[in-house]
Amino acid sequence: MKNQANPWLTSNLWVLGLGMLPAILLIGVLLYFTAWAFAFSFTDLALVGRKSVEWEWVGLENFQRLFTRRGFLESLWTTVIFVFFSAIVGQSVLGFLLAAALRGTRSTLRSVVEVCIMLGWLLPDIVAAFLWSATTAQTGLINQLIIRPLGLPPVNFINDYALPVVTIANIWKGTAWSYLLFSAALDSVSREVVEAAKVDGATPMQRIWLVQLPIIRPHIATNMLFITIWTFTYFPLIFAMTGGGPGRQTETLAVFLYNQSFARGNLGFGSAISVAMLVIVGCLSLVYLRMLREPK
Amino acid sequence: MSDVSLKAVRKSYGVLEVVHGVDLDIKAGEFVVFVGPSGCGKSTLLRMIAGLEPISGGEIAIGGRVVNDVPSPQRGIAMVFQSYALYPHMSVFDNMAFGLKLAKTPKAEVEARVREAARILQIEPYLDRMPKALSGGQRQRVAIGRAIVRNPKVFLFDEPLSNLDAALRAQTRVEIAKLHAALDATMIYVTHDQVEAMTLADRIVVLNAGRIEQVGSPLELYRNPVNTFVAGFIASQRMNFLEVKASANGLELPGGRVLALNHAGIAAVKTLGVRPEHLLLADAGNADLSGVLAVVEQFGEYALAYAELPGGETVTLKLDGAPALEVGQDVHMKLPGEGLHLFDADGRALR
Ligand SMILES: Nc1ncnc2c1ncn2[C@@H]1O[C@H](COP(=O)(O)OP(=O)(O)O)[C@@H](O)[C@H]1O
Ligand SMILES: [Mg+2]
Repeated sequence: MKNQANPWLTSNLWVLGLGMLPAILLIGVLLYFTAWAFAFSFTDLALVGRKSVEWEWVGLENFQRLFTRRGFLESLWTTVIFVFFSAIVGQSVLGFLLAAALRGTRSTLRSVVEVCIMLGWLLPDIVAAFLWSATTAQTGLINQLIIRPLGLPPVNFINDYALPVVTIANIWKGTAWSYLLFSAALDSVSREVVEAAKVDGATPMQRIWLVQLPIIRPHIATNMLFITIWTFTYFPLIFAMTGGGPGRQTETLAVFLYNQSFARGNLGFGSAISVAMLVIVGCLSLVYLRMLREPK
Repeated sequence: MSDVSLKAVRKSYGVLEVVHGVDLDIKAGEFVVFVGPSGCGKSTLLRMIAGLEPISGGEIAIGGRVVNDVPSPQRGIAMVFQSYALYPHMSVFDNMAFGLKLAKTPKAEVEARVREAARILQIEPYLDRMPKALSGGQRQRVAIGRAIVRNPKVFLFDEPLSNLDAALRAQTRVEIAKLHAALDATMIYVTHDQVEAMTLADRIVVLNAGRIEQVGSPLELYRNPVNTFVAGFIASQRMNFLEVKASANGLELPGGRVLALNHAGIAAVKTLGVRPEHLLLADAGNADLSGVLAVVEQFGEYALAYAELPGGETVTLKLDGAPALEVGQDVHMKLPGEGLHLFDADGRALR
């Protein structure tokens, strides 16, 4: 694969440079912002007031605050729970089960399920947030249709079970992606291989577990990589539904970052949070990229 | 080793019927080849025997037991797929051992059976390799090995050679024939290639559009095809079909000459069939057919000459050796005494 560049291009360095300009610009801007966040994580820069102009270098103070003050570690834990249950357990497992179950069926059931999960995917976050808030509130649909007719006192789900409600909302919102990805992955498994397993005596569960899943393992790793990163930094749905509350129950790192940087105006501290998030997501990516590799 | 019997077996996909009632008895230990053009329902029939496709009507019995509702693994069959269908994430050993492991066979026995199959197929050196590190021919052997390990009563092959190159195909064909002799198992083999059918089969089943056209040994089909479809399909060079008119003293051939012939049903004859290898070159004086040579294909050991008759029909002659023929010259041909096939208006052979 070496030296396969177009000879006309390699002999015209100007043209080559011109063609790469957009890419160079884009990478430059990305690097600039990353460097910016990194640099200001060592300052006490604020959004407004005196410190917005007369900021000072404070060394590692912001990073120490991550671990000594309340907030960051709690948010990290909330984020881990949110990512694990909504992305990994919820979207990924549910998406796979739906893809495996609906595969090969051409029923109306399949169309209905597909439309439902695609709706979640296509609906703007803010609209979805409003729907979920309205549905799970004290006077919402669930209370009107289920709890009240059963003669039970109404429950304010969005307040009393904020994290589970947000988690379920995100599962509903994001399962379409995993479903589509796993559907495509399962389609790429040759029909004859699955039939060979059938002739070999594998039960439907064994066919999925011992044949199809191992074959699509790279797809699973890719999917995990994507949805973990997305969910880890996911902001609009949670913020619009709960704003991080009640208390700090649903304050994931993205919401925490927003609250610190913009509600409280601590841009320096906010930069430190984003650098920490970058490091965490980077480490997770490495784990998944290792999974992507072939077994020896 | 088991016999297989099909009774009025049908298959429909929705309203579309693709197999229209097939009756067939396959004896234990027999090598039967299903042959027919692409899309005629060979794979569907085989997959119904394998239990991979539900049966829409009729009855399939293996070893005397009706298996319509018996799941694949309990039918005592093993299948070799066209794409080999090896498990890409398992080593060659695990590919072959998978079925035995699922059946909770003791470890020592799994080991012994896989090694034995690997020895027969000469794939022992590759047992630890992954399928993607094997050539097409080696993969094919592993697929066959996976079938042997199951110790099936009936082997099913679906076009197992069609992904191999010509040389390897010929070689593997011979090996499958040897395997049949060695294993003494019933084998059902699907192919669209009539050479594979002729060389491998004890009996050939010719299928067309979801129906059996004829069942018989390769030589029976070659000598006595029951209709124009079988006559045209079985043989390396397609049979020549000539439009003829029955007259009082014989058959009027294209070009006007009359072939004297005594046959009880001569009045019904519409088509005369003659194989390229049975047509003879002749002099202008005693020829039955004359035409102009359009194309010559020289193969060294034989040559194919395509002659155009005055009516526009083309006939093929197969000539031994390397005859000196020039395109554009006149060719005169004589019909043989033996090996003429007579067909009526519906294409059925008249005996
Ligand atoms: N799953 C299916 N749904 C609808 N039609 C099918 C299906 N599988 C096969 N067929 C049709 O059945 C006919 C026979 O197919 P097949 O047995 O695969 O042919 P062959 O193996 O002889 O080439 C074809 O016309 C094909 O289009
Ligand atoms: Mg086929």
